[in-house]
Amino acid sequence: MKAFTQIPPGTQILIGRAARRRRALEQAICSVFEGWSYEEIVPPIFDYYDVFIKGMGTGLEEQVYRFIDRDGNILALRPEFTSLVAKTVVTRFSKATRPIRLYYSGEVLRFEKPRGGRQREFAQIGIENFGSNGKSSDIEILLIAVEAFQRLGIADFQINLGSVDFFGGIVDRIDLPEGQMAKLKQVLNLKDQSGLESLLQELPLEERRKEILRAIPGLTGGREVLRQARSLIRNQRSVQALDHLEEILEVFENVGLARHLTIDLGEIQGFDYYTGILFRAYVPQLGFEVANGGRYDGLPATFGEDLPAVGFSFSLDRLEQIATPKLEVDDPAGEAIDGEAFDKALQLRSEHKAVRLCL
Amino acid sequence: MFVIALAKGRMMEQSLDLLASADIRFSENVATSRKLIFDAQDGEHRVVVVKPADVPTYVEYGAADAGIAGLDVILESRADLVQPLTLDFGRCKLAVAAPRGVALSASENPTVRVATKYPHIAMEYFNARGIPVEIIYLSGSIELAPLLGLADRIVDLVESGRTLRDNGLEIVEVIVESSARLVVNRASYQTKRGEVLKFIDALNKAKSCASSI
Repeated sequence: MKAFTQIPPGTQILIGRAARRRRALEQAICSVFEGWSYEEIVPPIFDYYDVFIKGMGTGLEEQVYRFIDRDGNILALRPEFTSLVAKTVVTRFSKATRPIRLYYSGEVLRFEKPRGGRQREFAQIGIENFGSNGKSSDIEILLIAVEAFQRLGIADFQINLGSVDFFGGIVDRIDLPEGQMAKLKQVLNLKDQSGLESLLQELPLEERRKEILRAIPGLTGGREVLRQARSLIRNQRSVQALDHLEEILEVFENVGLARHLTIDLGEIQGFDYYTGILFRAYVPQLGFEVANGGRYDGLPATFGEDLPAVGFSFSLDRLEQIATPKLEVDDPAGEAIDGEAFDKALQLRSEHKAVRLCL
Repeated sequence: MFVIALAKGRMMEQSLDLLASADIRFSENVATSRKLIFDAQDGEHRVVVVKPADVPTYVEYGAADAGIAGLDVILESRADLVQPLTLDFGRCKLAVAAPRGVALSASENPTVRVATKYPHIAMEYFNARGIPVEIIYLSGSIELAPLLGLADRIVDLVESGRTLRDNGLEIVEVIVESSARLVVNRASYQTKRGEVLKFIDALNKAKSCASSI
């Protein structure tokens, strides 16, 4: 019988050292989160389908595992945590002191083609900070991400930081039919210089605006990127975004972490969801991002309370693929004792020593 | 080391010419050697030779930092890649073709049977037009399928159109004009930014020199 001998595509099983390593990774990262006063939340593995769809928006529907309960409600296995956490905060923490700091760790399920070391069931570990919208909460989140990398002994990592408002401020002023706007976003997402150039030739825009759009894919790097961006734009929304990024960069310079931070104004993926900063973290050994996050002030309002929110998550499955020199994974090396020496076994166990009965 | 995946076959020579004009040269003949990995003389670049349809996969996973592949192959792969440059070679059309004369008449069959090497692209094309379709995946000699009644139409690459004509087929509609593209892994684009930009720049220059001759 197939069910007894095969596994459904997209599932995985961790055994022995792999499972111990997963747990050690989780514990190391959780201890960083707790060190910054984040409380654990263990949300349900399923909830109403609408919770996820309203929260995450289009694009995710097709990936959600859903089912119908006996009352006819449509339920879904969680495809992400943020919506669940936001809903809980709005419904259960309305009178709590702000900010509310929560972390989670667990599996999410998406019906998508397994790729990049992520199966259909994959593990996320992350934090959400609700109720504070200052730059400090953005910086707190980033510093926590940095500390988590350091805790694992990953010295070489890079956080690409951008802001939705920089690009938002530019496109606010560009009036294009929907099709052309979609095309513009597509070529910018692909960083397609050739495609951008030929699209710009078709678009009825002033040369100055074209100049800005042409520059976007190249706006990635250090402080000089902020200078270059300032010389190009004047609209208030973009300028404020640059001010905000500059303040964050300054803090990173002051605490000696600027080498890990790359200002990235050229990345426009993930824009339907985020409302302020957004970031992705990379390590040289892996072809996929290992963490991502940002500000999503609009999400809690979906559930009935307008609360600012910022957060990020690591992909545990991807972290597992890279070297984590500082992570200690204990091998259970129990003392071998006679298979009938139960007294001795109990004695050693009462001293918290590992035993291995020779059966 | 910056790893570049190149596709075996029709685009190999031109890909190597492009690399050479960007000063990335090899002491062996990459096109004819049986080896699969070649280190460039500059000591900074490495080329791996893979099947054309595999280039996007190698690059998406970061096994190669960059690659040169046809747009047809990139679209079919659905890989999430940075695609900074369109190159001036490997031009062809990805088109729907049918036996000459029957192309415009509605088929009696409620479901169009389409033979192709590009199942994703073909499915999307017909779905987007509301035409019920059955995709028959073949890995070569696609033109044969309508001749033997295996399929009503084909979706395939057309370079000169001669193979189609010789087999009594004609183009119904061009789905996409394809040409070679430079693709880059999303993480490499960020973590090896200096090398990536230098490489893009060199190819861009080499490309514009070639087109001005």
